[in-house]
Amino acid sequence: MRELELYFGPQHLGMVGNFSITLKVEGDRILEATANPGYLHRGFEKLMELRTWIQNFPLVCRINVVEPDHMEMVYAMAVEKLANIEVPERAHYVRSVYLELARVGSHLFGLWAYANMLGFDTVANWAMYHHDLVLDLFEELTGGRVYHIYIWPGGVRRDFPEGFKDKIVNTLHSIGGCVPDYDATFFNNPLFYERTKDVGKIARDEAKRLGAVGQVLRATGMKFDIRKVEPYAAYNNVDWDVPTREDGDVYSRLWVIRDEMIESVHMIFKLLDKMPSGDVYNRVPNPFKWNIPKGEAYVRTESSRGELGLYMVSNGEDKPYRVHFRTPSYTHGLIILEKLLKNASIADVGNIMISLYVVAPEIDR
Amino acid sequence: MISALKKELESAFKNIQIVIPEDNRLTITAPKDTVLTILSFLKDKGYDHLALISCTDWIEEKEFELVYIINSYGEKISIILKSRISRENPQFITTIPVFENAEPYEREIHELYGINFEGHPRLTPLFLEREYEIPPFRKDFDTRKYVEEFFDEIPFVEENK
Repeated sequence: MRELELYFGPQHLGMVGNFSITLKVEGDRILEATANPGYLHRGFEKLMELRTWIQNFPLVCRINVVEPDHMEMVYAMAVEKLANIEVPERAHYVRSVYLELARVGSHLFGLWAYANMLGFDTVANWAMYHHDLVLDLFEELTGGRVYHIYIWPGGVRRDFPEGFKDKIVNTLHSIGGCVPDYDATFFNNPLFYERTKDVGKIARDEAKRLGAVGQVLRATGMKFDIRKVEPYAAYNNVDWDVPTREDGDVYSRLWVIRDEMIESVHMIFKLLDKMPSGDVYNRVPNPFKWNIPKGEAYVRTESSRGELGLYMVSNGEDKPYRVHFRTPSYTHGLIILEKLLKNASIADVGNIMISLYVVAPEIDR
Repeated sequence: MISALKKELESAFKNIQIVIPEDNRLTITAPKDTVLTILSFLKDKGYDHLALISCTDWIEEKEFELVYIINSYGEKISIILKSRISRENPQFITTIPVFENAEPYEREIHELYGINFEGHPRLTPLFLEREYEIPPFRKDFDTRKYVEEFFDEIPFVEENK
């Protein structure tokens, strides 16, 4: 059969956009796939070298559009580490609740993208609606729906408003009440099973060799979560579990995402119960004249896609000398995607890519 | 645990400096030609997750610093391995034989800093669409000047009266 070159994306119904894959196909079978990032390369890391520590916050959250909150967290953590700033106990709890809400929102958005690609439009619309409910919470808390700039070196910008705790509980109860519906229409649907079982399969050893993190690794049965390995914020103070699956295929990855959402909701309830009172913010020096001592730091958090790290170098000046984000989509979207697409069929390209949870702006930065 | 690792490294390699800046962090400074052996030594010890390869441009010292961040799947410790090369002749060796996922990171550093990695199978452009005289992430690349030279001013449109 004749070999053809096929361009998949950046505009394609089967993918989330801003990313393209060049496929070499023979019939329906993919011989070789090449990932082409760069549609959203804005050079943020270079731009950050020209701005003060605080001025960088509006840039940081734009690195990942879907979940800007973990980006803020990792940046604030690096600044706190370099400048030796303590965070009050209550702020740790507020941060954890906020980050877990972001995880739930991001997973719902991911579920929308996935269900939409697969043709489960009803489920996609439910997920988008529930994602919107989470955004309403963010809007009340921070004033912004998508970009929040809520986490700050030294704590968070403001405390929960009056009655906000109940609103979180109510919203999460109404989302959680729909889990049986989601299961019946989507996760336990035979169509979903047929379409995803043994598709895009990766073994545990190979996943480790290729530097997989997050759901991709947890779907192969490995309990690896930075919140457990190196706890930050208040994750050490509550009891929770890391959901895993064994098979490493698309089906397992989606189930891990579902279980993680439920685990996050339970964790938020526990955190809200244990939340101490007190300040949420330690004053930092005047941001316009804030020189951070010389040094370097590597901090890491678990974003909803996997290990999110930040390597930061300070030269003792009012601006960072070097900032480099280690984003989870980078290895997933550039190496693992190319590996998994080999010998797959064209119809499975979007299936595999979205199940790997690749977010293009995170790769390009 | 971490001090035992420090001792082992010190006995295995001669001309490296090791610092423990805080709990669970280890910083190694090593010359260019030992980087590959140190990485495979660490990999055998169970530090098998290459999290990041970064590069810093120390323009006043006329050096590039390559930074490898190695973690393990399971332990808290994360290791920072640093190695400096001269700015005039930016040549380094590829670490793909040890860590397969080094490939895109080295491609990115090649594109943004102009460092050549010997033995890398595809040093093709990753993000950028144009050729630059100075690789854009180097400290002597002036972003403002580049924008002024490259892009036209936005024309002022007068409204029809």
